[in-house]
Amino acid sequence: MTALAADCLPGYTESVMRKLAVHLVLAFVILASTPVGADDESSRVVIGPSNPNLFDGAAALIAGDPETGVRLTHLGLSMATNRRERLVGLSNLCAGYLLLEQLDVALDFCNQALEINDRHWRSYSNRALIYLKLKRYEEAEQDLERGLTIAPDSAKLKTVRAQLLDEIDPVSPRITIDERRGEPDQ
Amino acid sequence: MNLRWTLPLVVSVFGLPALTMAQSVDEPVVSEIERVPLHTVVPEYPKEARRDRIEGEVEVCFNVDRKGRPSRIGVRRSTHRVFEKAAIRAVRASRYIPLKRSEPVPSIKTCRTFSFSLEKGAPNG
Repeated sequence: MTALAADCLPGYTESVMRKLAVHLVLAFVILASTPVGADDESSRVVIGPSNPNLFDGAAALIAGDPETGVRLTHLGLSMATNRRERLVGLSNLCAGYLLLEQLDVALDFCNQALEINDRHWRSYSNRALIYLKLKRYEEAEQDLERGLTIAPDSAKLKTVRAQLLDEIDPVSPRITIDERRGEPDQ
Repeated sequence: MNLRWTLPLVVSVFGLPALTMAQSVDEPVVSEIERVPLHTVVPEYPKEARRDRIEGEVEVCFNVDRKGRPSRIGVRRSTHRVFEKAAIRAVRASRYIPLKRSEPVPSIKTCRTFSFSLEKGAPNG
């Protein structure tokens, strides 16, 4: 039994290796023909972020560094080569200026982002937050409705909606406990 | 015997005591020792429910062991799953006065109903 297994192994390994090599080549071809961060308007082949400044700017914003985020995003936006990159840049600038509490500037970038894509729910979410801070509650509500129609499960939109509701219709949680003895344990 | 007459007869003979027995179940069982809460933990209002303005009720039933710790905790009824974890956690953290060695551990389950509601008006503080 052992000898048989040993005899079969080299042939088996060879065929597996050949299949593996074919799969690797195929995977590389598929990977290389999929541009990261580019849309139909761009036919460039890019591996990794197509706009590193935009990518790093977003990372800085997520990390809570709006100054760096805004600076890098401006750089990325100036080098944007397609509609999607411009949309991402404008939306992230809106978020960045919102973090910097420069609400009018943020609002302008959100408006520009929504001009490019009126189904960009993140821009609706950010703009709703701006309207909320500006106490323009009706506009905030409208943006939240639009955003939730596009992305009904978005936790971000729901959080902004909760902030809006707390502002216009505050509530306080109340918990009551009623204790009783139940039936004998089975 | 004709079955048409037998069945109502059986019901009339055995039905009355059965009904009386069912009523007596609701009466307090005097032989059982009442467990006295020592520390009742109030659950936190779940953030998701607070965010989405969801109100509801959960009934949690459990045994209390000799040392006063709730055991065999289970949700009997709930209007929304979002409240269940908070209610169970609160029960698990609650305590009852322990029993003496001579006292038997009651087998009766205790049930707590937690009502989560949102009242109009800003929270105090």
